Amino acid sequence: MNSISVRAAADNIPSTREKLSIRGLSFFYGESKALNGIDLKLHERQVSALIGPSGCGKSTLLRVLNRIYALYPNQRAEGEVWLDGENILRPEQDLNFLRARIGMVFQKPTPFPMSIYENIAFGVRLYEKLSRAEMDERVERALTRAALWEEAKDRLETSALGLSGGQQQRLCIARTIAVKPEVILLDEPTSALDPISTAKVEDLIDELKRDFTIVIVTHNMQQAARVADRTAFLYLGNLIEEGLTSMMFNNPKDRRTLDYITGRFG
Amino acid sequence: MMSRYSRRLIRNKVWLGLSVGAAAFGLLWLVLILSTLLWNGLAGLNLRVFTEMTPPPGGTGGLLNPIVGSLIMTMLAVAIGTPIGILAGTYMAEYGRYDRITFVIRFINDILLSAPSIIVGLFIYEILVVPMGHFSGFAGALALAVIVIPVVVRTTEDMLLLVPNQMREAASALGAPQWFVISRVAYRAAQAGIVTGVLLAVARISGETAPLLFTALNNQFWSVNLNAPMPSLPVVIFQFALSPYEDWQRLAWTGALIITTAVLSLSVLSRALAAKGVER
Amino acid sequence: MKEHIVASYENELRDLGRKVAEMGGRAERLVADSVAALLKRDTELAERVIVQDKTVDALQREIEEAAIAMIARRQPLATDLRQIVSALRVAGDLERIGDLAKNTAKRALALEGEYRAQKQLRGVEHMSEIAIEQLKSVLDAYSNHDDARALAVWKRDGEIDAIYTSLFRELLTYMMEDPRHITLCTHLLFAAKNIERIGDHATNIAETVHYLVVGEPLSDERPKSDTSSLTKMSVSR
Repeated sequence: MNSISVRAAADNIPSTREKLSIRGLSFFYGESKALNGIDLKLHERQVSALIGPSGCGKSTLLRVLNRIYALYPNQRAEGEVWLDGENILRPEQDLNFLRARIGMVFQKPTPFPMSIYENIAFGVRLYEKLSRAEMDERVERALTRAALWEEAKDRLETSALGLSGGQQQRLCIARTIAVKPEVILLDEPTSALDPISTAKVEDLIDELKRDFTIVIVTHNMQQAARVADRTAFLYLGNLIEEGLTSMMFNNPKDRRTLDYITGRFG
Repeated sequence: MMSRYSRRLIRNKVWLGLSVGAAAFGLLWLVLILSTLLWNGLAGLNLRVFTEMTPPPGGTGGLLNPIVGSLIMTMLAVAIGTPIGILAGTYMAEYGRYDRITFVIRFINDILLSAPSIIVGLFIYEILVVPMGHFSGFAGALALAVIVIPVVVRTTEDMLLLVPNQMREAASALGAPQWFVISRVAYRAAQAGIVTGVLLAVARISGETAPLLFTALNNQFWSVNLNAPMPSLPVVIFQFALSPYEDWQRLAWTGALIITTAVLSLSVLSRALAAKGVER
Repeated sequence: MKEHIVASYENELRDLGRKVAEMGGRAERLVADSVAALLKRDTELAERVIVQDKTVDALQREIEEAAIAMIARRQPLATDLRQIVSALRVAGDLERIGDLAKNTAKRALALEGEYRAQKQLRGVEHMSEIAIEQLKSVLDAYSNHDDARALAVWKRDGEIDAIYTSLFRELLTYMMEDPRHITLCTHLLFAAKNIERIGDHATNIAETVHYLVVGEPLSDERPKSDTSSLTKMSVSR
């Protein structure tokens, strides 16, 4: 008898080396605690999904990984996050350099008020000095990988704000991968997009995970089941369960996980 | 039920009528002012106005020196006030957004914004004119700058606050340091609004008379010396309009028309820029 | 278990379960009736069975449609997915059981007027009693999500197979004794095979119940005691 279970696209996962190791992470917005001692390992060149109901802390957790929360006072993190042997939460950590290694794509597409070319060159110029030809190549490669080259190649000098929503989001992805980060964080990247753009972005994720470690926060259960190798379920600031996506969506160990993914939560 | 409905209809019509009437009333005066200006100002408008200096009573002449004087002092005021205003607004919106002191600065700035301009003039008089011992165009420019600064601070801060935080986060997430995020992204996004603010400030100071009375005074003759009293259009209008001489009065009307036209076009220009910004 | 947030989803699942239960009840009755018709040579009953099999077939189509629609619309996961898929599989097995019962009823019609072989009929009766018990038990296990009960059914299938093997031998012997018995015994053989197959389908359902409850298929080999296919008989005079 053959089993009819949901198998993730890559159940034969090649690398299980840890890229990011989160240990005892707690997070505070002012006095209120949003994350409670999270321990989680994110593996290299895999897609890890963070799922959970609204307010469970998944976006908060994501934003700790590139310390973007540091832009705001009253937000602080306690605990450790190890990236390749360094604790990135330590005070001496150079935030800008960290963010060049860990890129982020946000829920709402945010193209800069510049041309498409400039949008992509922006990040690259921060840390690298490239000739015009090299920059052209980098821009083209980034746009090609983001499945936007064909649509954009004839209008590179026009404003990025003239692109459609789905195109803008792919531009943001291109912008992020142009700086060659090691990790890419995706915060509900397709919730503002139409189904076709969503499909294109998911296809993109499948391809990108060959080279990057990807962490994605998503509200869409089926999306997590489709793109992620591993999934973590958070609830009220706690990590309830984590494991292979095929296991999490077929036979989760915790009752709360099951209730959430089958739509019984509420 | 029917009567309640028809009562509401009637009340609606009454209020509508009152609003339209009030708008018409306001517009009426504006139209009257503009037409009076045009009527009286156009009569004296000719090439001489822009090429000859102010005449003695009874003579023929133009408004060249007050026009030039006004231009010089306005430009200097903008040159001094705009950088200060933009940088202050940037601090309030970017670096110090969540600090208590920003709240205080904003509060004081709002007060300055509506401070009577004659107070500004008196202030500059006390700290600059008296120690220097004489009136000067520089003091006049400074007084105008003090009026420019709060306007630019306010609009810069407002426009920068309108830039969505997510855009800044997106830039920071690429590894850009804060000053880079501000200069390359925030400014770019807010530039239409900030320029509008500067234009509004210019429009505001073009017509200021009171501060100039205490600082730049006036000058009948040609002068581009910032260290000496400098002529300006508003003051000259003030002087000529109150005089009993007809040709002086005519020149005053023309000068008023010139100022009004300049302010009107600046306002229209800034509106157009703001609209272009909103299109995005 | 908590209910789905979307009430219509919950209702659809419940409806699906109800349909399967109804189909199970009908299939049970069909099997019992077909065996009774065979043993008592009741042609009227046999004809009723043949007609009623159609409702079972119709139910299977309904269940299939409903399940496929739910998979497309609801994108079920985990337990919900297993429930829907199980309903599909059980409906398939029950439809085959209905067909086997119909076939047995046809045999009953074919045997009209034939001599009654008491001993062999008793063998068939014994087999069918167990098969009907298995079916009832496994359908209970399905509606109660009772894994232990399903496993018991699964293990007991060997009994039916053993009876079938010995019945096979007996019937062959009987046929060899007297060629006039061949018609009767051949029909009985087929009827017995049908009942053995019904037992197998009940075991299939048991495997489905285990998958439904535990989330993984049964890993062991099903106990097979039907060695009739290996039976050799020397045909010598």
